[in-house]
Amino acid sequence: MAWNDPDWGKKSNGPPDLDEIWRKFNDKLNRMFGGKGTPPPSLGGADKPAFNGGVLLVGLIVVIWLGSGFYIVNARERGVVLRFGKFAELTMPGPRWHMPFPIESVENVDVEGNRITEIGYRQSVQNKQPHEATMLTGDKSIVNVSFAVQYRVADPQKFLFKNYIGDDQAFVRQVAESAMREVVGKTNVDTVLYESTQVADKAGKLIQQMLDRYESGIILQNVTISQVQPPEQVQAAFDDANRADQDRKRQQSEGEAYANNVIPKAKGTAARLLQEAEGHKQSVIARAEGDAARFRQIVAEYNKAPGVTRDRLYLDAMQQIFSNTTKLLVDQKGGNNLLYLPLDKLMQQSAAEAAAPARPAVTEPARSPDQVQMRDLLRNREGRP
Amino acid sequence: MSRNLATGLVVALVALVVMSFTFFTVDQREDAIVLQLGEIVSVKTRPGLKAKIPLIQNVVFVDRRVRTLDTPDSDLIITSEKINMLVDSFVKWRVADAKQYYVSVRADEKAAEARLLQLVRDGLRAEFNKRTVDDVVSGQREQVMESLRKNIDREARAIGVEIVDVRLKRVDYSEKVADSVFEQMRQERVRVANERRATGAADKEKIQADADKQQEIIIAEAYRDAQRTKGEGDAKAAAIYAQAYSTNPEFYAFYRSLDAYKESFKTRQDVLVLDPNSEFFKYFKNPGRGGK
Repeated sequence: MAWNDPDWGKKSNGPPDLDEIWRKFNDKLNRMFGGKGTPPPSLGGADKPAFNGGVLLVGLIVVIWLGSGFYIVNARERGVVLRFGKFAELTMPGPRWHMPFPIESVENVDVEGNRITEIGYRQSVQNKQPHEATMLTGDKSIVNVSFAVQYRVADPQKFLFKNYIGDDQAFVRQVAESAMREVVGKTNVDTVLYESTQVADKAGKLIQQMLDRYESGIILQNVTISQVQPPEQVQAAFDDANRADQDRKRQQSEGEAYANNVIPKAKGTAARLLQEAEGHKQSVIARAEGDAARFRQIVAEYNKAPGVTRDRLYLDAMQQIFSNTTKLLVDQKGGNNLLYLPLDKLMQQSAAEAAAPARPAVTEPARSPDQVQMRDLLRNREGRP
Repeated sequence: MSRNLATGLVVALVALVVMSFTFFTVDQREDAIVLQLGEIVSVKTRPGLKAKIPLIQNVVFVDRRVRTLDTPDSDLIITSEKINMLVDSFVKWRVADAKQYYVSVRADEKAAEARLLQLVRDGLRAEFNKRTVDDVVSGQREQVMESLRKNIDREARAIGVEIVDVRLKRVDYSEKVADSVFEQMRQERVRVANERRATGAADKEKIQADADKQQEIIIAEAYRDAQRTKGEGDAKAAAIYAQAYSTNPEFYAFYRSLDAYKESFKTRQDVLVLDPNSEFFKYFKNPGRGGK
């Protein structure tokens, strides 16, 4: 019962109240005697059963007293044993025994479990604590920074003896909040908002420094930024600035898209021009070679019989021309200058199939340049009323 | 026998009671002040089992660990530019001199903290009044805290307390000032947004203009090279023609002319108005007599 009470001699903060214990002890004693059915109104009348009971009782008390020294250190814990209030030893996990009260006492400390404390919110980011999160930046803007700190107890002795910690979450939260505010206070708003890991790193270093200075025995595991936001009042403006950034990137990529469209096309056009030119060159040369070869052959024959060949060539050519074209034979000497030729009619007739505009042609067959003058003819027509 | 046992028990009990009034343990975390009829006899600063005279001496335990004093609310403090700031801080303190601590505040933590709170407030006011917002927020934050610590520590020694650290937590604008800060932030963002959009448009224009320029250059250069190539071809062709035709220029003129006539008049749309007196019609009207 009271002796086996887990509070007893174990987790007491500060020294146990001796008077209180004595009172309890005496109560217990009285009740035990009473329970045996041999109430001792005076010790003078005690007999054998009382004697046996007494021995038994003393033995029992001693056994219980010694037994109260057993305790268990859980897997993630260390036991800190104090002898008369002075640190005696650190015990590892497992069942242990210390000398019972009032000689020794033990306190177990969790040294492996990661503990976590949130600043700016509790449990969930929605559950905001604005007075913790609102911070001033170096350029005198206001931001809301919510973050979480993970830590564990590395040195149970320091953890127990150096600081009055009480609630270790609150203890770390205070340190972390102060450190974060100091870091944010030296950083400008854009860095805090958009490079928060950098801020977290700096804050982490500062937090550890402070924890070390207080000899808290706590080691910081990490600092996680949960949320960094501009205050609600200016959120819209910040959002718009972010959109503007996207607009800028979009416009840049639009420009690049245009460039990526235009330049390859231009390169294509350039390649086409060059190929065409190359084609022109080759074809012109080939034609020249062909023409030259042909001419050489003909000229060879021509040289053998110039007169006949010449006439034959001339007549062949004329025949070919006249057989394909529309002809008008006009003997000017018999007519006058105002000869009327319905050229347009002729044109229409011949242009029945082709859409292309017909073009009147003048030729000076062979070597008689003064015979027919189409131009004069046309001029004459135009000159008519 | 039973009488002896009973007597033994009683003796043991009495001994226990006397011992419990005589011995006391001093915890690792504590100092013990031994008082004799209200007067301090000694201060036990080392942990362990200690003895005192029962009944006339009693013991007061003083926690020696570092404690935290957190100011309950933010204080409104004015900086050197007369701007109201909400300031929140905490103080790490511990009992350095248990005797002094007992004498001055009766080892009463509440009383000690009330005194410290007063010191902190005065200290904060003094430090902030001579500094600008910039200084207290970023520039001289550490100096403010260190100077506060020193000053408060000096005063606190009087009550046996050592100041381990003073930390500023919140240093914020008061609500009234905050509104103008928001406005300023908003305008700053508007400026940033405009600048970004303008740069975006400018960049786009620049990139497109550059692309157009490149396009022009590429095509013009290609044109140049193409013309050069064509010229080479034309020149080569001209050379070939010249070489071939120079063997008989007169015949070439005749031959080429015939080709040209054939090429020029080859459809029904070409109308020829002819004079029968031309060379071609030499025999048309006059069959001749053989030979010219």
